[in-house]
Amino acid sequence: MKRYDAIVIGGGHNGLVCAAYLARAGKRVVVLERRERVGGAAVSEEVFPGFRFSVFSYVVSLLRPEIMRELDLPRHGLHILPLESTLTPLASGDYLAQWNDHDQNRRELARHSLRDAEAYDEFGLLLHQMARIIKPILRMAPPDPASLHPRELGDLLRLGRYFKNIPKKNFDALWKLLTMSAADYLDEWFETEALKATKSASGIIGTLLGPRSPGTAYVLLHHYMGELDGVFRAWGFAKGGNGSVSAAIAGAAQSFGAEIRTLACVSNVLLKNGRATGVVLEDGEELSADAIVSGADPRRTFLGLVGEKHLPAEFLQSIRRFKFRGASAKVNLALAELPNLTCLPGRGPHLRGAISISPSVAYLERAYDEAKYGQFSRRPYMDIVIPSMLDPAMAPPGKHVMSIFVQYAPYQQAGGWSDERREALGDAVVDTLSEYAPNLRSAILHRQVITPADIERIVGLSEGNIFQGELSLQQMFFLRPTPAWARYRTPIEGLWQCGAGTHPGGGVMGASGRNAAFELLGQRL
Amino acid sequence: MSDRAIVIGGGVDALVAAHLLARAGREVVLVEERSARDEDGWVPPQIAQELSLELEVQRPDPWAAVPLPQGGRLELWRDMARTVEAIRRVSARDAASWPQFCARIAALARLFEQLYGAAPVNPLSFRFALRVRRLGRQAMEDLMRLLPMSVAELLDDWFECDALKGALAAMGIVHLQQGPRSAGTAFRLLHHHVGSPQGVFRPARSNLAAVLRARPGLEVRSGVAALITVRGGSVTGVALKGGEELAASLVVSGADPRRTLLELIEPGWLDPDLARALCHVRRRGVVARVAFRVPSATRLVLAPSLDYLERAYDEVKYGRVSREPYIEVLPGEQAMEAHLQYAPYARTDGAWDDAGRRELGELARRMLAAHVPGVADAQAQVLAPTDLEADAGWPEGQAYHAELALDQALWMRPLAELAQYRTPISGLWLCGPGTHPGGGVAGAAGYNCAKAILRRA
Repeated sequence: MKRYDAIVIGGGHNGLVCAAYLARAGKRVVVLERRERVGGAAVSEEVFPGFRFSVFSYVVSLLRPEIMRELDLPRHGLHILPLESTLTPLASGDYLAQWNDHDQNRRELARHSLRDAEAYDEFGLLLHQMARIIKPILRMAPPDPASLHPRELGDLLRLGRYFKNIPKKNFDALWKLLTMSAADYLDEWFETEALKATKSASGIIGTLLGPRSPGTAYVLLHHYMGELDGVFRAWGFAKGGNGSVSAAIAGAAQSFGAEIRTLACVSNVLLKNGRATGVVLEDGEELSADAIVSGADPRRTFLGLVGEKHLPAEFLQSIRRFKFRGASAKVNLALAELPNLTCLPGRGPHLRGAISISPSVAYLERAYDEAKYGQFSRRPYMDIVIPSMLDPAMAPPGKHVMSIFVQYAPYQQAGGWSDERREALGDAVVDTLSEYAPNLRSAILHRQVITPADIERIVGLSEGNIFQGELSLQQMFFLRPTPAWARYRTPIEGLWQCGAGTHPGGGVMGASGRNAAFELLGQRL
Repeated sequence: MSDRAIVIGGGVDALVAAHLLARAGREVVLVEERSARDEDGWVPPQIAQELSLELEVQRPDPWAAVPLPQGGRLELWRDMARTVEAIRRVSARDAASWPQFCARIAALARLFEQLYGAAPVNPLSFRFALRVRRLGRQAMEDLMRLLPMSVAELLDDWFECDALKGALAAMGIVHLQQGPRSAGTAFRLLHHHVGSPQGVFRPARSNLAAVLRARPGLEVRSGVAALITVRGGSVTGVALKGGEELAASLVVSGADPRRTLLELIEPGWLDPDLARALCHVRRRGVVARVAFRVPSATRLVLAPSLDYLERAYDEVKYGRVSREPYIEVLPGEQAMEAHLQYAPYARTDGAWDDAGRRELGELARRMLAAHVPGVADAQAQVLAPTDLEADAGWPEGQAYHAELALDQALWMRPLAELAQYRTPISGLWLCGPGTHPGGGVAGAAGYNCAKAILRRA
């Protein structure tokens, strides 16, 4: 039986990040990945001959800059191409474009509303300030607020002092952002419907909540966190697809001496006297290590790999009520030609950015209404990119790939997901999009539709939730995934968590993996 | 310069503030814009104690009666064992969960009882942190989880019976333009439980307003404030509609914060940033009241399930009156009143004219006819949100003056800058339900405000 210092279960980006940091500290580490490739939901695959797709996650925005730096990811082949704009086609035939270029953006906004153009900078400034408050928190291992342990008390005191030192005004502004709905929050700032809708759309991504549901304003911040670091623009696209992100992290991990095994499916965690001592693979092979680190989500880790009978009842209850409720689907299209948008015909820089189908807040809210009762939206919110415009190697010459993020397509589907339903969802997407780009239907060579049920089956994310658990306030910070066990530890000694189901979770960020590694190594972040 | 204090009001908070100031020796004029009506709300015991009041509190038993789809009613009693027995008939599992659920919520309600009887705490203060820690692990975890969550999630964690969940969830959405699946509504269930005995999830109704209106000690003027006069950044008095001017060095306003500071003050005295923030205080009214001259002793709740409430809410998002609204019968000896939600103040599917009122009255009659004898033939008197604004002084029909949501609660109510009842204008204070702790708690805002004034004097 082979012995390691640490076994990382799951080769998603967080597992890889965790392994890389552990290996960098001189530990003997192995990553066990069930699929034939690492990356989890950050993979590039040639789905149709000649057409490569970021099959699941498709943009990079939140990857922590310290991870980029410390693991030297550019040296391992990561190259980020910026997405320069977001275009929102409107029902009226007009459009709203948001550009990275400040002056161009202001001119475009002023075309819709002078007031909004004025407010835009002030809004950005406030969110920058908020992002600056949140950023150090992302790097923190959340303390247990009820504990009497001196270390936890020390950390709580430090946290309290941190918040006391920010101006009360900013704390209050942050509280508003955490508790308000994106729509209400944006109503305080802007009047252009499409601007409010497109911005609030970022608040609903990955969750089964509408733009008028409180708690959705917080995610507006995420857009400003990437920008803040100045490493790259808020939204970018990895050359070669999002698989390149995983490949670069895996490369870094291997350069530090980590071992990576694919097609190695862990069937359960080995326990001895209540302590995790190793894992058993599906083919019966056993590996042992001092630390077992699970990158799988909390439900799979505890209910699947560990087993209910080994866990305390109260902990089990809180794991069972941890909410997933996947709500997003993905449609990948291979195209013979570029879409020709009615609102902005022809080829242009706008096709190098994102296209957002979010004409109004009411449109998004209606899409949510259907999803609440277990139907996918007939007219969904869509976030579209055409990666082949930035990286021609993604498609054969002259042809294109289009990646469409679709919401809402709830995992809990009245009657369950079936092949027909999947295709019906694909049809709804193409039909809705054809209203804005009439040539789309005839340009489609191949179509891949991925429902939350598919995400769960292929990648292993419970209920297809792209964040390994809903990012709602009661599942964040010291409550993620459960109170008292938010510090990457678990009730089972020797078993750790490093997936997005822990703080801060969600997005191709890598922070959970890094925090877990530092916590395991007993180092201050 | 007059040493007189003027209290502008028409609500129970203004009455409490006025009497507390008078008891402390101030000469108080109450500008009574309308006669205050008694609404549901717990009265913190210190109010009755300090003003030596004998209050009558209605304690309907059962505190809620919920019609069941299979016929019969689920009756929730003040007696725990009796309620458990009643729930057992619809779900043995829920009956088993009930006592523990009630105990866990009650533990949190006790913390809020303390928080509501005083000016808002600073959430970053060490004292507050200690107070929360003293709750113990279980209650602390419950508190952190419960505050931001939706009432639907909370109830789904505990119960399976739709009728029970619907009746409880109603307290999460009452007077709010949100549905039971909206985050922050679990907090409101807790808010409306504060002050009630364990296992009772309907606020009490007392005759506090009636008792205070009958109490001597104030100079009462009926009239409507038109302007609060300010000189050099300090209040100098109040001008009434009709032209009469009253001088005062202290003005306490029970009117809503937006009206007080944006309409009753001449613009220019207020910092533009504060004025802008005030414009954004949400106060969307979603309630209509329909009265029938029929006696009813039962607090009937028509909120059959979480989905029912959520669907009712779906319509109001687009400005429509719910086709199947949430209705709750507020009992009365001579006449009953039906609380009907959602009926948006700013409706887009019609107008609140006679036809609109009649239609709503018929809707209420249709829904109640099967449950309340006599309603079918009784005359309906409809108070649309616009009527509630005019008659009860609810701005935009919002009984709580400012929506009670997490971003407008506690130290943020109505805004962080105004949460300590003081305004930037020297001598002008706020005491209405738009301030902490807000609607649903009777007189507490007035009490806290008066205390703050007296401490400063």
